[in-house]
Amino acid sequence: MRDRRRRIDMRLRHARRLAAALAVSGLLFGTAACGSGSGSARAGDPNTLEVWTRSDPESAQTYDRVFAAFTKKTGIRIDYQPVMNFDQQLQSRASTKDLPDVMINDTALMGSYQAQGLLKPITPASIAGHDDITATSWSSTVGRDGRHYGIPYSRQAMTLFVRKDWREKLGLPRPRTWQDTLALAKAFATRDPDGDGRRNTYGMVVPGSAQNGYVAWWGASWLWQGGVRIIEKDGSGYRPAMDSPAALRTVTWMKDNLFCGDNGVIQPSALTSVTANTTNFQDGNAGMYLTGPYNISTFDKALGKDKYEVLPAPSGPAGNNDVLADGENIYFGAKTGKAKLEQALAAFLISPEGQTLAMTGDHQPVVRIPVNSTLDAAKVRDDPRWSVVQKAYETASVQFPNAPDFAPIKQDTADALNALFTYCGSDVRSGLKELNDTLAGDLKDQELLK
Amino acid sequence: MTATVTTPGPRRARLSSKKAVLPWLFLAPGLLLALVFKFLPMGKGVWLSFFDVRPFLGDKWVGLDNYTRVLTDHRFQDAIGHTLVLGIGMSIGGILVGFLLALLLEGQARSLKLVRTAVFLPVVTATAVVGEMWRLMYYPTSDGLINSGLGLLGLGPVPYLDNPDTALWATMAMGIWMLAPYNMVIILAGLAGVDRSLYEAAAMDGVSLWQRLRHITLPAIRPALGIVLTLAAIRGLRVFTEVYVLTGGGPAGSTDVWMTRAYTLGFTRNDIGGASAASVVLLCVTLLLTVTVNYLRKRGDVR
Repeated sequence: MRDRRRRIDMRLRHARRLAAALAVSGLLFGTAACGSGSGSARAGDPNTLEVWTRSDPESAQTYDRVFAAFTKKTGIRIDYQPVMNFDQQLQSRASTKDLPDVMINDTALMGSYQAQGLLKPITPASIAGHDDITATSWSSTVGRDGRHYGIPYSRQAMTLFVRKDWREKLGLPRPRTWQDTLALAKAFATRDPDGDGRRNTYGMVVPGSAQNGYVAWWGASWLWQGGVRIIEKDGSGYRPAMDSPAALRTVTWMKDNLFCGDNGVIQPSALTSVTANTTNFQDGNAGMYLTGPYNISTFDKALGKDKYEVLPAPSGPAGNNDVLADGENIYFGAKTGKAKLEQALAAFLISPEGQTLAMTGDHQPVVRIPVNSTLDAAKVRDDPRWSVVQKAYETASVQFPNAPDFAPIKQDTADALNALFTYCGSDVRSGLKELNDTLAGDLKDQELLK
Repeated sequence: MTATVTTPGPRRARLSSKKAVLPWLFLAPGLLLALVFKFLPMGKGVWLSFFDVRPFLGDKWVGLDNYTRVLTDHRFQDAIGHTLVLGIGMSIGGILVGFLLALLLEGQARSLKLVRTAVFLPVVTATAVVGEMWRLMYYPTSDGLINSGLGLLGLGPVPYLDNPDTALWATMAMGIWMLAPYNMVIILAGLAGVDRSLYEAAAMDGVSLWQRLRHITLPAIRPALGIVLTLAAIRGLRVFTEVYVLTGGGPAGSTDVWMTRAYTLGFTRNDIGGASAASVVLLCVTLLLTVTVNYLRKRGDVR
């Protein structure tokens, strides 16, 4: 009987993975479709804004609600395009010198867009309700020339998702340090927390591919906790900082314990995984995942609220538990000639009404931590887990620097980390030295090297 | 007298010039489409490869800088080796497996038609879907299809995609799986044209299977093989989607090919000029290769 259930269980897991594959392929078709159709028939209409967001169909439904409310309120129509391969599509639109009017995309891309001249500078005072956004948040949208190039829209910080039922079954405490986390990961991998009699569970999920810089994005929190910065401000410029003793210590620890440590501490496909195909946590065969809170709604549906807990990240050897903070900004495309309408949309998006709409509803929320300081994430959602995220964002988080074009820096860091983690016999010191030289070259290309 | 001789002259010329225009008229829609969607973008790509591309700040002429940067970048240099191994391996593998499939599945029986359709499916399936499917088949634990098969034999599990020593070969296997059925169809068409009486005569002479293949089948399907080879030369080096969906170039860049590097340069690092230069280099190499293959083929035909 038990054996049969296990078999059914396994078949279910196979089926779920197949379903995931189909969903992914559906997504790819979807984006191809919107990509080609983005010519926008209504772009000429002076009362219509073309808005792009980097969203999958699930979160696009949340945006649909937000924009519908805006149109109802102001009469300004929105030609909304959710785009998955955002940067590829944006480059092709840029080459026609006709950008979308408003774009909502990652904070870390601001420097890159500004360097290419794709953005209109923004005066905070021109956006109604701008003083509801804190000075700290506003400071994260200042470009190299000291002017603002984005309006904060949504913020988030990484937290540690842990299978509560597994942890309690094994009688282990909540992890507070790297050592606790490692011990818990080993226990999840070896002590059969799902009780099916097989060693088929993993300690932690890692999107460790260099593709789109994922391993740098995931690894940044570990670097911060080890007291490492990728680049550091130096006078009016920056200098690379990946050859520090702290970096050597941290990357060595990650390599020896996570990637080249005991079997099963991380999922076996980690080195080629990106977030889209890293589904072990929601599939129920991995016990921890350090990632962004946008996953909460997905995990609630796949696992159930009672099965997992949202915890602050563990502390590293530098004695802090800082995590990577990121989020999304509202950007105005250069030379669109619709500044007034764009400002009206931005004012709505950052207003309590716009932010609340984007945080609630049945689909994936597109605002995680509200930038509007009159709102509280946990209260709006009536969900105390969000206060863990908000607290992490407010007290223990570090962003990637926003002024430089960070895209090449993130990509080079990811390439180097992925290579070090792949070859367990690699020399970390020389690998990091080489990365540091590459980063110096990137900064020099941007005339930022000090 | 002279008049009667000269009058048909201009008329015939007019007629023949009309005749010359007619095919172009029929070709015009296709040519126009090719011009707008193929040749103009290609020309623009070549043009952009000489610029630091910044559409909103004004492009900056940099001459051959993009080319020197791409050709001296060690990651591009590493990618050349992977591209060659993958391109050649996939092409030869695809032709061999396609030939084998064609031999096995040649015939008129209804069951064969069914099997041929099934075998052809990978060609009409989107590469992204195939890639995701193979990622699941290669899954590095006993949950993965291939590893569960190995498990029955008491072997594995093998981390196909996560080991830099095997990732390239695993990608190649998927490429061959996708490529072979297409080649099969072309070779099947060639096989259909083989004179049956030659086989009968050979059977009466009592030749071995190998002799039959070597002296009858292969010479007879030479034109089909020529097409397959030319296609392989064109497609082999521009391999991209297979790698992008399966490994993204990793782990540790061990499956990075020329086009995945160009893609990263263009769309992750927003260096459109550099990406254009890399693409132009690939275009030139592909062109050279295609011309060479065609030349060799024609020389062989003459002989």
